Amino acid sequence: MKFINLIFKSLMRSKRRTFLILGTLVLSVFLITILQSLLATLDSVSNQSTEGNRFIVRHKSGLTQFLPISYGDYLRQQPEVIAVANSQWFGGYYQDPKNFFANFANDHTTMFTVFSDTVAGMTDAEIKEYQRDGTGCIVGQILADKFGWKVGDTIPLTGTIFPISPRLTIRGIFKARLASDENTLYFHYKLLEESVPFMKGKTGAFWVKTKTPEDLPRLSNRIDNHFANSPEETLSETENAFYLTFVKMLGNIGAIIHGVTIAVIIAITIVTIGTMSMAFKERTTEIAVLRAMGFSASRVLFLLMGEGLLLVTLGGALGIGLASLVAKILREVLGSALMFLQDFRLANETILICMGLTLAIGLISTIIPAIVATRKSIVEGLRAL
Amino acid sequence: MNQSFKAPIVHIHNLSKSYFRETLEIPVLQGLDLDIPSGGFYALMGPSGSGKTTLLNLIAGIDRPSGGVLEVCGSNLNQLDDDELASWRNQNVGFIFQNYNLIPVLNAFENVELPLLLTPLTRTQRKEKVEEALTLVNLMDRLENYPRQLSGGQEQRVAIARAIVGNPMLLVADEPTGALDAKNADEVLAMMQKLNEEFGKTILVVTHDPKAANFARHQVHLEKGVLDKTVEVNR
Amino acid sequence: MLFFFGFISLIFVGYLIWLIYAVFKFPVPFVYNIRSLWQRKSSTLTTASAISLVVSIFIVVLSLAQGISKAFITSGLPNQALVMRPSSRFELNSTITRDQARILKLSPLVSKDGNNAIASAEVIVIKLFNKADGAGSNITVRGIEPRGISMRPQVRLISGRWFQPGLSEVTIPAKIQLRYPELAVGRSFRMGGREWNIVGSFDAAGSSFDSEIWSDVDDVMQAFKRDDYSTVLVRLRAEKDLRVFAFEVENERRLQLEVVPERVYFKELTKAGDPIRIIGNLITVILTIGAIFSAMNTMYASVASRTREIGTLRALGYRRREILASFQWEAIVLCTLGGLGGSLLSLLADGIQTGTTSFDTFSDISFAFTITPALIGQGLFFSIGMGILGGLLPAWRASNIPLTEAMKA
Repeated sequence: MKFINLIFKSLMRSKRRTFLILGTLVLSVFLITILQSLLATLDSVSNQSTEGNRFIVRHKSGLTQFLPISYGDYLRQQPEVIAVANSQWFGGYYQDPKNFFANFANDHTTMFTVFSDTVAGMTDAEIKEYQRDGTGCIVGQILADKFGWKVGDTIPLTGTIFPISPRLTIRGIFKARLASDENTLYFHYKLLEESVPFMKGKTGAFWVKTKTPEDLPRLSNRIDNHFANSPEETLSETENAFYLTFVKMLGNIGAIIHGVTIAVIIAITIVTIGTMSMAFKERTTEIAVLRAMGFSASRVLFLLMGEGLLLVTLGGALGIGLASLVAKILREVLGSALMFLQDFRLANETILICMGLTLAIGLISTIIPAIVATRKSIVEGLRAL
Repeated sequence: MNQSFKAPIVHIHNLSKSYFRETLEIPVLQGLDLDIPSGGFYALMGPSGSGKTTLLNLIAGIDRPSGGVLEVCGSNLNQLDDDELASWRNQNVGFIFQNYNLIPVLNAFENVELPLLLTPLTRTQRKEKVEEALTLVNLMDRLENYPRQLSGGQEQRVAIARAIVGNPMLLVADEPTGALDAKNADEVLAMMQKLNEEFGKTILVVTHDPKAANFARHQVHLEKGVLDKTVEVNR
Repeated sequence: MLFFFGFISLIFVGYLIWLIYAVFKFPVPFVYNIRSLWQRKSSTLTTASAISLVVSIFIVVLSLAQGISKAFITSGLPNQALVMRPSSRFELNSTITRDQARILKLSPLVSKDGNNAIASAEVIVIKLFNKADGAGSNITVRGIEPRGISMRPQVRLISGRWFQPGLSEVTIPAKIQLRYPELAVGRSFRMGGREWNIVGSFDAAGSSFDSEIWSDVDDVMQAFKRDDYSTVLVRLRAEKDLRVFAFEVENERRLQLEVVPERVYFKELTKAGDPIRIIGNLITVILTIGAIFSAMNTMYASVASRTREIGTLRALGYRRREILASFQWEAIVLCTLGGLGGSLLSLLADGIQTGTTSFDTFSDISFAFTITPALIGQGLFFSIGMGILGGLLPAWRASNIPLTEAMKA
């Protein structure tokens, strides 16, 4: 490591150039990190490690079609089923349409069994209180913090899909593992059903909890076959498959992100090759002097590569650092545009991949100019000045 | 001829060197014979294009001959591969250039330390040797200075310190005074003389300046790639 | 903000005019600089190709944003309005009874064609289609009255015929058929418990109707067991009647509905493109700064390697500003080369059809990357801007090298 001083000082030879290329590197790595994290976040939506023994039964024709609540009776009769909760996306907002968050009308009793993992942290007393109050609701911690809500507050929820705007009393605040799960409000299904005439006896979906995950494929087939010839056909799918349909809806966003990432990698590689060859060419004589002094060609190559790798490591670390600094801001900006991005974060794997990519860029873009620089003969190099 | 009984440090026999420009062969040195005894101070002289720098480069092991015998400091340079040659240079040869060729981003101390980084010496040992070398060239007060903060004469003295820090047997210098004014040139040449006389270094200088050549004890004249004559300098 | 941008672009244009003037008055240094680009081929090439990539991304992102906006903006007529249930925000969420629809059509403000009101009661449902790769996608199905077709003048039949009421027939946009080859004219699909025949295909000029399957309103309502319409589209006699009509519809006891001008409604919907737009802007801004940095690096290197030449020019009597202009031109030419390369690259994306989903209605919106001459023009203008920004400081440095230093080098 006695050469580190030499490597570092060589890198800082032209401070302006080094800072400009460093800036380019930082920005590129920053961009790649953010984009890949975005993709990873979207992927994780449909790849959650949920309990695996929960699935959804919805209308085959689409998310906006309703199923008869009576279908629930059949579901509950199945021996594998532990609990069934009917659920309807309410799509309401609080005070201003911009204050968007997920809100559902859910069965007020079974939901605590079905969603025991994503609606957690409430005391039994709170749950009882919520179940007692037909106009009660429960909200996630993040949501409560955002609007400063406390247990006991009454909040108006303006309906957009349904012609009602209920006033709901908060009876409990729950916690979840994911931010998007905590950004949610639930109220009694009965309230929706009783106050919206066309919802009488209907529901958007059933969430079903089974005894073991192994029950799922057979059970969902049986259910879909059972309703296959009724006017309202069902589609049973796992939670992840269900979310996947949402992510797939974003269309080619993955292709766009990968395209941009590749373009950025190519661009930054080209730019780094250009800059490093510029830097090495300037030092042709110096390199010859070092070799005359007894530095072997491979040693000089090692020093030059060290310089390039130091540069990209610095650029990569700063870029990723910058990305993690703005991740929070981005989470809010993007989260308001797209619900799933409320869970936006830099995953460790993404950081590792991006750092690996950066190092690979550094390696490829330094090795070419470094080989060119060291292949020149010493005599030629000394004459270069 | 008081040192001629010593074994030669440079033994050259029938040495030739050609360059190729595309397919055209351009001979630079032809059938050269030369022995330089250990402890000698030789000036290589001749008009430009006579091959004096090429000869110096061959002896210093930074260029390869096209044919002939080339033994320097006890090694047959033709038998060494590039890496062996590099480490041979590190141990046996010190370089002094016309343009000093100090590394601009390193200070005087670090510049002198460079050749030692290739040795197994510890940090403290390196420091000792560097300070010794810089004391010898009277630049101990300039340790922290960067090349651009030094005068030309000072820069060349740092370069000399760098050349001798590894205690090589042979010092080679290509026009060491070419970029210096008369006063600094004298100072540098006197220093080289001192290294030759007091420390027994063998010194080989390429120069076209007769005054510089007079500091040497022998002057070797080259003409169109062949040895013209060797003259002993009387002082 | 607008004033600020106006001011900046004024400076930009002024500077550019001066640069053009300078190059015509003193062409010699300029010629040197262009030659230098040629001499430093590898460095010119690397920088220009990096800039090419950035410019092509810029153009593609721009076309993406335009594609999304176009899908909605071109969807509405100024004197037409959608009548919906209050605060339903989207057609899909709205319900209107048959009575309400009948009353609406009787309003004297609604344009007439003979005895019939120019209005179309419509129903919106969503149908899940499975793509070949197994991914599902929701497509909007719009049940309309036959008159609804002519109320969308941008919609044009391109093959087959329009659906006939009572026959379970649909007409499908050609854009959807591109993405779902199984929906070709002459084929059929199951929906709402019955079989629907595809009898024709239409083109809606890039508007959001290019993402909808059209059929007869009564057929769709029967199949989906709906009693109510979703919305009623009405054409008013004049645009200025909108406010009066809205007031009447909101206050009529039997209606109490909301009137949303068609243009306003679709403009609201462009929000569906927000995530893509935000990401696109982020990408462009960051890449632009990066590209400017690398252009600066190349230019500084160019200046450094020609210090002596600059000294000679100065000694010959060229003034600082001519040196500045010529180096500035070198940067502009460099970046414009990149811009041209980028334009060519972006053409690769031309015509690619893609889609995204409106998360408010959970349905598909298709749009195309269309690389128009205007977009390419913007890309080139953008690259000139990069050249000016990236070259300014190096050119300034070139023009301020002291004469003595320049001659010494």
